[in-house]
Amino acid sequence: MSDIKKREFAVGVFFLVVGLGYLYLTSTLPRKQAIDAAFVPYVLATIMCVLGVLQLRAARKLVASEASATQGERSDYATVLKTLGLIVAYAAFLEPVGFPIMTVIYLFAQFIVLTPTDKKVNYLMYGAIAIITSAAVFMTFRYAFDMMLPVGLMN
Amino acid sequence: MLSLFQQGLEIVFTVQILGLIFFGTVVGIIFGAIPGLTATMAVALFLPITYTLGPHAGISLLVGLYIGGVSGGLISAILLKIPGTPASVATTFDGGPMMEKGEGAKALGVGIAYSFIGTLLSIFALIFIAPTLAKIALSFGPHEYFSIAIFSLTLIVTLATGSMVKGIFSGALGFLFSTVGIAPVDAITRFTFGLTALNGGFDILTVLIGLFAISEIIKVAENVKTEKNATINTVTMKGFGFSMKEFWEQGWNCIRSTLIGTGIGILPGIGSGTSNIVAYMVAKKQSKHPEKFGTGIIDGVVASEAASCSAVGGAMIPLLTLGIPGDTVTAMLLGGFMIHGIQPGPLLFVSQGPLVYSIFIAMVVSSLIMLVCELYGVRLFIKMLAIPKHILLPIILVLCVVGAFGLGNRIFDVGTIVFFGLLGYGFVKCGIPQTPFIIGLILGPMAETNLRRGLMLSDGSFIGFLTEPISGTFLALAVASVVLHIYQNHRVKSPVPAAQH
Repeated sequence: MSDIKKREFAVGVFFLVVGLGYLYLTSTLPRKQAIDAAFVPYVLATIMCVLGVLQLRAARKLVASEASATQGERSDYATVLKTLGLIVAYAAFLEPVGFPIMTVIYLFAQFIVLTPTDKKVNYLMYGAIAIITSAAVFMTFRYAFDMMLPVGLMN
Repeated sequence: MLSLFQQGLEIVFTVQILGLIFFGTVVGIIFGAIPGLTATMAVALFLPITYTLGPHAGISLLVGLYIGGVSGGLISAILLKIPGTPASVATTFDGGPMMEKGEGAKALGVGIAYSFIGTLLSIFALIFIAPTLAKIALSFGPHEYFSIAIFSLTLIVTLATGSMVKGIFSGALGFLFSTVGIAPVDAITRFTFGLTALNGGFDILTVLIGLFAISEIIKVAENVKTEKNATINTVTMKGFGFSMKEFWEQGWNCIRSTLIGTGIGILPGIGSGTSNIVAYMVAKKQSKHPEKFGTGIIDGVVASEAASCSAVGGAMIPLLTLGIPGDTVTAMLLGGFMIHGIQPGPLLFVSQGPLVYSIFIAMVVSSLIMLVCELYGVRLFIKMLAIPKHILLPIILVLCVVGAFGLGNRIFDVGTIVFFGLLGYGFVKCGIPQTPFIIGLILGPMAETNLRRGLMLSDGSFIGFLTEPISGTFLALAVASVVLHIYQNHRVKSPVPAAQH
């Protein structure tokens, strides 16, 4: 089975899981009459389940020539995963650690992760940009726009 | 109308607002010019700044970003042969070859002039169509709004490129997320899992920032390490670089492309990203010399730029008159309106007439600034293209986080943009279009609320939705668009199995 065919199957399974999960959650809603707060969710859940079946059918019918025709160039998933990890960590620690410190850490690490392979990692410059950006954004929004960005450890 | 214009002029022609429009347009052009950054991202980033500005100033800034962002894409499309935004994809087809032939300055001049003309004509269309449409829309009730929402949803699904199943799923998923929170009419709390933060549902802006900005950053991470630096060519501009004879020769091409762009802009959910390609294809088809398209002729640049920029005025028509965004940037603008407690729709023309006319004037001023800045500041924008992405993108992410946090001073919203960023990236990888999701999210509550209200008006009978003339027409159009799409798909696919066996 080609990668594209596997992906299309996975998409179909995802559609079905979302549809069935939503159907289950909808069934827990209190009912008052035929057209109530659960009516639209029931319609949506049914549509999603039908779409899941249609997607699985389309994936099964996908012929080898179509599947291979859309193969794209290779992507650097290691960088994507590192970036995802950094973004999630940034969001998770923003409140306890605080915006100024967490932004410096995030920017510094993200600059390093995204640096092109043919370029040298310039720690000093990255550190300076991270500190200046964090300070400038924090000061601007905290004092010019009265936005209470979390200060965390600096409190 | 004249007094409203006068009030609009008084609002816009202040140092603060003119300065904000200028700033917005220049930043918008920079965002448009740098591949990977879009007008949607520019509006998302600058929303937190508008929190503290008044509605007139805030919306003028966003309008400047929108107009600059759509037009700016032509710079990289011509100089790098890489479209800065989806709005300038077709500009690369002839702009790139013109650059290679040593006609870069002429290509830029043509692109700048016709993107200005396209924008301006579409703003005039907006000024004349929107108030009339708003007057008609004032008589709309729940039946009409429900049918328009359904029509818009089916239209975006059928017009979305790629798989129709995925398009419908995307729209349905957006609708699904709109059901989180307190239900309309009977106020039952749905799908909140006990989280009070979810009682009000998902904020449109957090979803948009996540789906279009965060996912884009993750997507760029796929290739940024191996991306080779494109050679940036410099050009010296002397006027527009084309003759009056060429200008008159392009007259019909420009008008036709502007009409296509404005028309596509009016349709919900699709805008300049589609209009430039459609107009280019039509121009090629109707040309006396179609074989020359793609070799570096001004006809292609004119069609693409006039159409992409005219979608701006078109997309504002359904936003202002019905509260339905014409494209992703206007969806973001809808959020910007809501921050200032303004609900776009026909009543806006009655209750906030001066604001509406100040938007019209801000758009005209912004397009003039765009013309002058692009013509005389092209060297500055070329320099901006050299900013390394591995430095720029993380800073943009930080600003997105600030924007999301600023909506309600809640870390919950930061988590939301990360969640929708991951979802958006998943969409990209699975070939699921993102725009139907946004339209589903925005139009979902409109459809559900008006369905419930409509049924209450007609004692629980669905017949009212069919017998009301406008409502019935929109429902019939919705069915027709789906049937037509299925028929067209069937016609395209039918010879394939025979050929394979």
